[in-house]
Amino acid sequence: MAIELKVSEVKMGEAYVGKWGMVIDQDMCTGCQACVAACAMENNLSFVGETDSGYGRSMHWIRIERFWEGSYPEVKMTPNQPMLCQQCGAATCEPVCPAFATVHSQAEQLNLQVYNRCVGTRYCANNCPYQVRSFNWRDYKRPEPLPNQLNPDVTVRRRGVMEKCTFCIQRIHKAQDKAKSEGREVVDGEFTTACAQACPASAITFGRVDNPDSLVSQLARVHGHGVKHLEELGTLPNVTYFKGG
Amino acid sequence: MIKRFFDWLKKPLGLIAVGITFLALFSLAAYGISLSQQPPAQPVQFPHRIHIGFGIQCLYCHPGAAKGPSAGIPAEARCWGCHNQIVKTQTSLLLKPLKDSVISGKPLQWVPVAQVPDFVQFNHRAHIAAGQNCENCHGDMSKMTVAENPQIFNMGFCLKCHTKVAGENHDLLVKLTDCGTCHY
Repeated sequence: MAIELKVSEVKMGEAYVGKWGMVIDQDMCTGCQACVAACAMENNLSFVGETDSGYGRSMHWIRIERFWEGSYPEVKMTPNQPMLCQQCGAATCEPVCPAFATVHSQAEQLNLQVYNRCVGTRYCANNCPYQVRSFNWRDYKRPEPLPNQLNPDVTVRRRGVMEKCTFCIQRIHKAQDKAKSEGREVVDGEFTTACAQACPASAITFGRVDNPDSLVSQLARVHGHGVKHLEELGTLPNVTYFKGG
Repeated sequence: MIKRFFDWLKKPLGLIAVGITFLALFSLAAYGISLSQQPPAQPVQFPHRIHIGFGIQCLYCHPGAAKGPSAGIPAEARCWGCHNQIVKTQTSLLLKPLKDSVISGKPLQWVPVAQVPDFVQFNHRAHIAAGQNCENCHGDMSKMTVAENPQIFNMGFCLKCHTKVAGENHDLLVKLTDCGTCHY
């Protein structure tokens, strides 16, 4: 029996416009890791410790990637590259989940991770070309008084659950809720993600990419040479990188 | 050995033993289920019935429901505002914990009754703003003494109302049934 392949109706390349997006200027990034720390605080990330970190099980929703060019001693470091979930428009993690725990949000155009649905197959992480998903291999202990700094707006994940960057969806909802209670729309720059807020060099900008007046859209136009990582895979990422401007 | 045991089970004494075991397990299960259906013990036997009978609005003591995610439990100062003018407060044994708490400054440890799991993010404000009344989820408090839960807050309960409210409005339905609206 012939299998009829249905080509996705998602528009490819520049025709695709998401909802929330991010612009990262790699020339501004100093690699200070403030975003990494801020993200961990905001999103209740666990501290996995030395042993598990040695196994490559460290949990970060954003990391600073460093690359070198050339061979020793003439090595040159390329600009620091903050890597986080690209919130792909056609994400490779989504179709492989057997439990529908990683689904595409139609309302916010984000890749969601529904923790209570996740059964821990880790298929999504293996299928992610950006390697940005992290798995809770254990119930990592938070000694007192560390539980006091947990963010009440974010779920505390348990063992056997996959997690990843949510574009600080709790902040999105908070801003939307505040705007709605005041009877207006969310204003650009009213809120931002934890990483963008913490960045001392303002290398990270967050906002609506479908609004041409927002700062992210304007930055993308000014630079004009933004790069989307692994775009050739057709994942339609919502994070744009600038380098060598 | 095992065959002898099964033979013994078929004898009258064995049958009685089987019966007793079955009854014990059944009553234990029934007791467990009934425990989970009882409202938790509270420091004060707070009668919602009487307070509502005086015409006090829900939002007078739980004003957070109209403003933010959590409805909140009132501080003792809120209770004391009325109760220090009531003579019975000084003598009543039931209200002694409240009086002690006000004098010592140690807050009463109320036990939350209506709860959702950690992976559910619930916002009271949005529901009140959408015109929902407290009793739609929390039941008729004018008939309750100590607060109890009239229904299990599971996803079916939430979605039943969400789909009904959205109706033909597709955009609203997408927003109200999106996983990311409640789970993050």
